[in-house]
Amino acid sequence: MISRLRTALIYVVLGLGALVMVAPFLWMFTTSFRPVAEAFTLPPRWLPGLDSSLESYRRLLASDVPIGRFFWNSTVLATTVTLGYVATTTIAGYAFARLRFPFKNALFALLLVSLMVPIQTTLVPLFLLMRWLGLVDSQWSIIVPGLTGAFAPGMSGVFGIFLMRQFFLTLPKELFEAARVDNAGHFRTFWSIAVPLAGPQIAALSVIIFTMTWNDYFMPLIFLNSVDQMVLPVGIMSIRDPVGNSSATSEVIAAVSLSILPVLLVFLVAQRWIIDSFVRAGVKG
Amino acid sequence: MTSIANDAAAGWFSPQNRKETIAGLLFIAPALIGFAVFVAGPMAATVVLSLMKYDLFSNPSFVGLANFEAMLDDRRLWKVLGNTAFFAVFAVAGNVGLGVVLAVLLNRNMSKTVQYAYRAAYFFPSLVGLIFVAVIWQFLFQRDIGVINYYLGLVGIEPVRWLSSARNALWSVIILDIWKNVGFAMLIATAGLQSISKDYYDAARVDGSSSLRTFWQITLPLLSPTILFLLTMNTIGAFKVFESIVVLTNGGPGDASRSLVMYIYEQGFKSFNMGYASAISLLLLTITVIVTAIQFALSKRWAFYE
Repeated sequence: MISRLRTALIYVVLGLGALVMVAPFLWMFTTSFRPVAEAFTLPPRWLPGLDSSLESYRRLLASDVPIGRFFWNSTVLATTVTLGYVATTTIAGYAFARLRFPFKNALFALLLVSLMVPIQTTLVPLFLLMRWLGLVDSQWSIIVPGLTGAFAPGMSGVFGIFLMRQFFLTLPKELFEAARVDNAGHFRTFWSIAVPLAGPQIAALSVIIFTMTWNDYFMPLIFLNSVDQMVLPVGIMSIRDPVGNSSATSEVIAAVSLSILPVLLVFLVAQRWIIDSFVRAGVKG
Repeated sequence: MTSIANDAAAGWFSPQNRKETIAGLLFIAPALIGFAVFVAGPMAATVVLSLMKYDLFSNPSFVGLANFEAMLDDRRLWKVLGNTAFFAVFAVAGNVGLGVVLAVLLNRNMSKTVQYAYRAAYFFPSLVGLIFVAVIWQFLFQRDIGVINYYLGLVGIEPVRWLSSARNALWSVIILDIWKNVGFAMLIATAGLQSISKDYYDAARVDGSSSLRTFWQITLPLLSPTILFLLTMNTIGAFKVFESIVVLTNGGPGDASRSLVMYIYEQGFKSFNMGYASAISLLLLTITVIVTAIQFALSKRWAFYE
């Protein structure tokens, strides 16, 4: 009896906690659908009512804020960085796991050092380097480091290399020896044997890198300045007004809702898979 | 076997090894070049720049250790360093402590659907950009129109100045940080829990150990490598705190909630003291290296490995 009571209590406490986690999102989406004039009136609303309207969104689209442009920039940036980062780190991870070449362990240890070097500590030289390369205020300033697998926004390159290397190490040797007997080239072995088997792992890495790039504010803040180049986080910060002007703030709420929507949709569709792959990455990391 | 295996003794570029050596080097080349150009190079440049005075417009001039001497006398630097350490202590304790408790409470026999729903709810904020959620929380934290003060008012609590008072500003940032990141710590801790053998718990049950005692004597020691990992990752992350403060308080009031990275950004990209900003960056790097070294040393001694 007591243990049952205790279990029930745990469920209730966990449930209340879960409510706190979800509440800000509920408030945001509901507020974005309220008529602008009363969007912030108290008591707060947690679910859209009968008076729901698209006024906030309509105002946002009609304003001179190029929200569509921000959205497009974010999409292009996150997609390109993800493709490049995942390709480079997958093939490097494969080499570190499966091939023999000189200084392999020393080079891997060297790459691991980059885990200790947050981008915030190399900010000034990176900026000078990008300026010298003529890439400041161009998406390329963020895409190029991602393409080379040096780092994606917020994520060191060696994270992907490490994750993929650990995966390729778990594959049985025999798979690759058969390919060698067939005298398949190393790239063909990688492409037609290793990559298909690594599908779920590659997908998990892609989701992580895409979300991190989509969400990142720091790198775009430093490297992308003109309105044409801005991505969603920087764009939203540029239109944010001091709270009080309720019509403009409704537009901000609408813009934030639009920015979170893709992540929410992907999560709702694939939540079990995402949670499981994070748990798995955690086991290995 | 020997005909297939790569024979290192024959030399990396001998006829039977050459193809593999070249393939290996080619496969890692992009990552290695990227590392050299965008990580190692800038790292070395930070050290060089920290010895310079450079404002981006005139030529850099060598000033020796002047930037580091200036750091010692810079009261604002010590203030922001103190803020960052304060934030780090409470955010890390909250994230790791609550994360482990949540993981343990959710790692029991319950309906899989409920379990996934709870985990999803706790985890989802870690997937959403900090800027986006900080903008939402800025509304929730407002003194007069904020939702939090509204509910506090219902139980008779006077409106709290969450963001505009020097005493509360950092706590508000800490609350946001725990809300956002606790789910991630929970998932990593869950992964750690699932790698603990069931045998230990069976033995504990046979001994009639209470669940609280089982937690202290079995779960916690066996989870210590995971906890150490979480403490390290969270501490390194906490010392980089930036976005949430920019949105919530912009460092204010005064410097009451300004962080180290905000100060680096301000020195480098607003005041154009590129040399001084680089010197402070090295301080951040030193902190990161020390935290990692402590983890490395502790993981050999303190953490209990099976």
